Amino acid sequence: MEHIVEILNSIGDFFAVVFKFAPKFDQAIVYTLELSVFSILLGTVIGLVVTSLKLTKLKWLQKIADVYISIVRGTPLLLQLYFIFYGLPLIGLNFDALTSAIIGLAFHNGAYISEIFRGAIVSIHYGQDEAARALGMTKIQAFFHVILPQAVKQSVPVLGNQFIIAIKDSSLASVITITEITLTARQFSAATYNPFPILFVAGVYYYIMITLLTKLLQWVERRLSVNER
Amino acid sequence: MNDKVMIKLVGLHKSFDELEVLKGIDLEVHEGEVISVIGASGSGKSTMLRCINFLEKKNKGDIYIDSKLIKKSSHDINTLRAKVGMVFQTFNLFPHKTVLKNVMIGPSVIKKADKIKAKEKAMELLRNVGLEEKADVYPAMLSGGQQQRVAIARAMAMDPQVLLFDEPTSALDPELVGEVLQVIDELAKSGMTMVIVTHEMGFAREVSDRVVFLHEGKIEEIGTPTEIFENPKSERLQSFIASIW
Ligand SMILES: Nc1ncnc2c1ncn2[C@@H]1O[C@H](COP(=O)(O)OP(=O)(O)OP(=O)(O)O)[C@@H](O)[C@H]1O
Ligand SMILES: [Mg+2]
Repeated sequence: MEHIVEILNSIGDFFAVVFKFAPKFDQAIVYTLELSVFSILLGTVIGLVVTSLKLTKLKWLQKIADVYISIVRGTPLLLQLYFIFYGLPLIGLNFDALTSAIIGLAFHNGAYISEIFRGAIVSIHYGQDEAARALGMTKIQAFFHVILPQAVKQSVPVLGNQFIIAIKDSSLASVITITEITLTARQFSAATYNPFPILFVAGVYYYIMITLLTKLLQWVERRLSVNER
Repeated sequence: MNDKVMIKLVGLHKSFDELEVLKGIDLEVHEGEVISVIGASGSGKSTMLRCINFLEKKNKGDIYIDSKLIKKSSHDINTLRAKVGMVFQTFNLFPHKTVLKNVMIGPSVIKKADKIKAKEKAMELLRNVGLEEKADVYPAMLSGGQQQRVAIARAMAMDPQVLLFDEPTSALDPELVGEVLQVIDELAKSGMTMVIVTHEMGFAREVSDRVVFLHEGKIEEIGTPTEIFENPKSERLQSFIASIW
């Protein structure tokens, strides 16, 4: 009996801390959202540009794209962020922490997103391009009216995964002093010597964001797949 | 059929690396004429057809469409393609567009045609191939025969002067072949100039003005259906015909 009371008490204490600290994450949430949204949007733009570079017939442009992708894939994101935040100032490029983090995350996402787009584009059967060209379309018309819409549609599920990873990866911006959700949680934990309820709050916030994004992506996917009966 | 030459091929050569597939094709197709191309697998039928609208780049020889020599510039090629429609064995409809949009896409994108007019015309073409009621459906929901009829309507939407068919019924279940052949037959009767690669010998015989027998990259024999099917001259044609009946 006493034992049960004890457990109920500690659950009560746990949620008391949870509810006390949950509202204090407002600025942290804004940072995480900023990091996520901008790194996803900018990453998508970078991804499209890099995909286009790879699709040009110019060898040296392809090479640049290849080097970029292999560097991003071949090194940890954490090091990439350190490099941008601490390394770039050495060659005279100074950005504030938030800008550095967004650049770093976008740069990172861009490489993966470009691979997603490229994979989707090459997976479109060549008969589609031929049919478009046989009608008299230019290469560019065929690309924009026939190939790209199908490729984008195909890449939505994988792209969605990458967006989710991008939200989680934004937590790494904590190492370059941005008080987003993870760093905020760590600071509160250190101040209260009571990490679990606070980490719980952080986890719930990530979970909500990712769940909402997932729902949004499912909706987009459904909208796009009307043509497959 | 009249005397105007719609397609003229002069000494057409095509190789894939070491493999010489077309070894000098000379052919004139007159306006309103229907030509069937027959021959063994690998004889170069598809390659010849694809060279005519530059989906394959010829190595040597000249191609004239409507008496105009087609140069290798992309402007020439795109203009040529708008005049020369192509229907593929595998239909190649655009799966992300409705049937109606598939038929409209050529005029809207390439000719920047007026939306309302393009739509009216597309509906008329769909009516001609018996698929008016499928206008708002996506290709995935159609049978192969229906898809191929849409593909024909899509090609017709560009007002082509010539239609090229590469085995338009080979990918179809036997019971769907008839409906596609009927559409092609109607086009033939309407005076459309057509080059049809086919294994449907009965159809070739019925619909064609002339039949081309291709053998190892050369025109081995050319003539009326009666000449080709009843009085084949070359031994190769004789044995080809014996092998398929
Ligand atoms: N893109 C290509 N690259 C290399 N070889 C090719 C290519 N396209 C065709 N060939 C070869 O060229 C030859 C002629 O092919 P083509 O497709 O024109 O024959 P076909 O008469 O249409 O045969 P089928 O009746 O089987 O369709 C074949 O040996 C084929 O393997
Ligand atoms: Mg073929």
